[in-house]
Amino acid sequence: MTFAIARMILRLAALLVPRAIRSDWREEWAAEMDALEAWGEERPAGMPGPITFAVGALPHAASTWGEGWTMDGILHDLRYSFRVLRRTPVFTAVAALTLALGIGANAAIFTLLNAVILRPPPGIEDPDGLVQVARSYETNPRWDSFSWPAYEVVSAETDGLAGVAGWSDEVFVIGAGDTVERVIGQLVTGRYFELLGVTPRMGRLIDASDDVSPGGHPVVVLSHALWTRRWGADPDVVGRTVQIGSRPYTVIGVAPASFNGTEKVGYSPAFWIPTSMHPGWRGDLPFEQTGWSWMNLFGRLAEGATIESLRASAPAVNRALASLDGVAEDIQVVYGDGIGLDPAERAEAERLAFSLGVIVLLVLLLTCTSVANLFVARSASREAEMGVRAALGAGRPRLLGLVLTESGMLAGAATLLAVPIVAVADRIVPLVVPMNFATTFAPDARVWTFLVLVGLGTGLLFGALPAWTSARSAALRGAGGGRTTEGSGTARLRGALVTLQLGLSLGLVSGAALLGRSVWNARTADPGFRSDGVMAGWVDLSSTGRYGSEDVLPFFEGLLDQAGSEPGFAQFALTSDLPISGGQSRASVQPADRPEADSFEAEMTVVGPGYFEILGIPILQGRGFDPNELETERVVVISQGLAEMFWPGENAVGRELAGGDPWRVIGVVPDLQLRSLRAQGLPAVFYPLGPSTQPSMALMTRGVGGAPVEPAMIRRTVAALDPAIPVSTVLDLGRAVSTSLSETRTIGWLVAMFASLALVLAVVGLYGLVAFGAARRTREFGIRIALGARPDELTRLVLGRGVPVLVIGLVLGGAVTWAVGRAVAGLLFRVPAFDVPTFVTAAAFLIASAAIAAWLPARRAGRVDAAVSLRE
Amino acid sequence: MPRSLGITTLKILAAIRDGDAYGLDLVTRTGLPSGTVYPTLGRLKRRGVVRSRWEDQRIAERDGRPRRRYYELTAEGLRALEEGLQEVRAVADELDPGVRGIAGEGSAG
Repeated sequence: MTFAIARMILRLAALLVPRAIRSDWREEWAAEMDALEAWGEERPAGMPGPITFAVGALPHAASTWGEGWTMDGILHDLRYSFRVLRRTPVFTAVAALTLALGIGANAAIFTLLNAVILRPPPGIEDPDGLVQVARSYETNPRWDSFSWPAYEVVSAETDGLAGVAGWSDEVFVIGAGDTVERVIGQLVTGRYFELLGVTPRMGRLIDASDDVSPGGHPVVVLSHALWTRRWGADPDVVGRTVQIGSRPYTVIGVAPASFNGTEKVGYSPAFWIPTSMHPGWRGDLPFEQTGWSWMNLFGRLAEGATIESLRASAPAVNRALASLDGVAEDIQVVYGDGIGLDPAERAEAERLAFSLGVIVLLVLLLTCTSVANLFVARSASREAEMGVRAALGAGRPRLLGLVLTESGMLAGAATLLAVPIVAVADRIVPLVVPMNFATTFAPDARVWTFLVLVGLGTGLLFGALPAWTSARSAALRGAGGGRTTEGSGTARLRGALVTLQLGLSLGLVSGAALLGRSVWNARTADPGFRSDGVMAGWVDLSSTGRYGSEDVLPFFEGLLDQAGSEPGFAQFALTSDLPISGGQSRASVQPADRPEADSFEAEMTVVGPGYFEILGIPILQGRGFDPNELETERVVVISQGLAEMFWPGENAVGRELAGGDPWRVIGVVPDLQLRSLRAQGLPAVFYPLGPSTQPSMALMTRGVGGAPVEPAMIRRTVAALDPAIPVSTVLDLGRAVSTSLSETRTIGWLVAMFASLALVLAVVGLYGLVAFGAARRTREFGIRIALGARPDELTRLVLGRGVPVLVIGLVLGGAVTWAVGRAVAGLLFRVPAFDVPTFVTAAAFLIASAAIAAWLPARRAGRVDAAVSLRE
Repeated sequence: MPRSLGITTLKILAAIRDGDAYGLDLVTRTGLPSGTVYPTLGRLKRRGVVRSRWEDQRIAERDGRPRRRYYELTAEGLRALEEGLQEVRAVADELDPGVRGIAGEGSAG
């Protein structure tokens, strides 16, 4: 048995040996194996077993390739390949550009994988030593933030960490007068920068001495981006003051450009201030409260500690946490490896990278088969040359090397051409992916290495097959042979390649059609609201420090009155969240009549009078909020999706949502795409300004005649009530929505470009297959015509060549389409993953193109002039 | 002498010198894996240090087995081996003078 396996290995290894010396090689090894077998079981010490012995034949066989290869020969091959490629510039350009697209697309998608999954957040020292710390419950696993008292417990009780730091994103109003803007800033604990090992760009960073007494130390570290944008990278910024919320802060330093906080998904913070400067909420501060969770924690592993030892020590921390007042018994501290992505974000990013990866891999495979096809076609026309070389004594490895040198050179050129594609990837990729990223996609050494590896692999992949066949057929045929018919091996290979090409193209074309339809749906689908002519500005009361929670409602009531007296406003309304333009709140809701039902995280908006009217949202059942007065009762309007989720098939009006005193449903509106135009609208709930309040609201206005008003009008209206209140980030909602749509358009263009490319490649491949086959048989056709064959018979003969290829290609295409649909399901909008009409349309399109591609050369074959063809 | 020979090569050359040999024999005597011995033999052959000859067809037929390929040293191979061994001794001396006696005895016997 072992000898049988050993002999099998020898037979396989022999295939690698050049033909000229193969029989000698075989005989030597046969004798060796025979000698080994003759010893039987009583082998002397030092003699290997048969399989071990036979495996040694593989390197031996491979080493025979080197015979006849010299540095001179390789240089000669390179020079020769260069000349050959230069002699056929169109072939070279088409092949190199095609490959460049395939290679570039792969590397571009790799930048996503690299930036979001593989690479730790930039600007952090020794990121492997960091662990994420989160709150969970034994009975209700989750990944959540901590309250301040819980943070203190985790910090004090965890042994395996050299230190624990926390951060929290907050919306701040920064600046004064016309330069006011809303930005995301971060509250960070004193050891945040120390544990991350960040080095300041200038000045110093926040340290433990800054984070001591609540409200006591108004200092700020600017992000590099904010410093550049607002201060024009002023080198003397340290020591200046800047208004943040209600207080002036002293700038103590600027963070380096590379550091954008610890999170890779979400928003980059504009600045960092100590947690002790927490602005509070309705006059309260969070430092005593266990029910107020706002701190995201991470730690740095102590010397010798591992994440396993940390997990093992968790029960002690859990007990200490559970002993806090108002904390559930089953609270758990959980640790996550590394930093930058929480588990849900990681899963989402991996899913996206997978979807895009499948597509670009198919594109690469398609470009490889296309170029391999071109090569095979050309190698067929170079049979004579190869034949001469073989006749002059070039062995198969030598010929193989020659063709591989050429494909390697082409792949090298394609890799160079792909460099600009990769260089712009950091601008294109974020458009394709529906997530916000705080990290940069700029390519690094890893991306460039990947590019080179893909380039090399591609060269081998598309070069190896044609190289093999051309070397083989050359060895078989003499210089003058093979003129009347195409070699059967080459023909089969080309048929297989074109079949594969058709299948892949069909998959890509229908995948592109799916994405195209999603884009179309996103553009044409009614988002459920009208945004044209709406100008909105944010009014933030918490930033002034002069308004307590009881002053909020009267202020906004006054603002509504003021807006009502402004003749420039045809319509206006207050809202806590603006659709599409970044950020949408969520609230947990539950039907009051079924406490056992699961609660649901619905899109939540607090809205003032006139909200549904200014956005043109129809009321499907019941009524909307009073368009002129603040509501006084606890009533809500919900979306159809929520109504059907909680009370399927019933009238939701009059039902109640749980929450302290229940909220009564007075009306139902359609599902709105509040968050994104590319995602289905989620069930939503609208609370009325009145019973519910928010210190920060946006005033939406529409001018007379439906045109957007001047931003100054909004500022003036607010200033009439209190000139000290900043109006930040005035934006044209209609424009924000069309910007969001133009991103969708960019994706549509990219997808359409790839699909057209795929289609053109496949059709050119089929045309080439049929045309080339026909051309090679010209003499045969001449004979047939001389013998009385009719032109249409010849046409059919040639067309017959394309039919099986097309049929198998279609079947393969169905399978590829199914796989592509599954891969991109997450990017689709209102289209099923396998959409029969889309597939049929794509297939029909492909069949039509293929028919033309095959018919043209077939018709030409029918017109062969017998006399001319026989003379050739 | 273009380039000094490695210990592995010297082992193989020495094994060939000690009696003309076929591959399995060399693998057994040197204790080196077959994946090292055969490619090295090919390389040495190309350098003209080793030559091979096929066993007489009649002997093989008498024993009812395929012909063996035997390897032997060329004149240059013999010289290369001796120079190589001298070099190894020199290196050994330099690194540890105490080894000298042993190495000397080894080569005498």
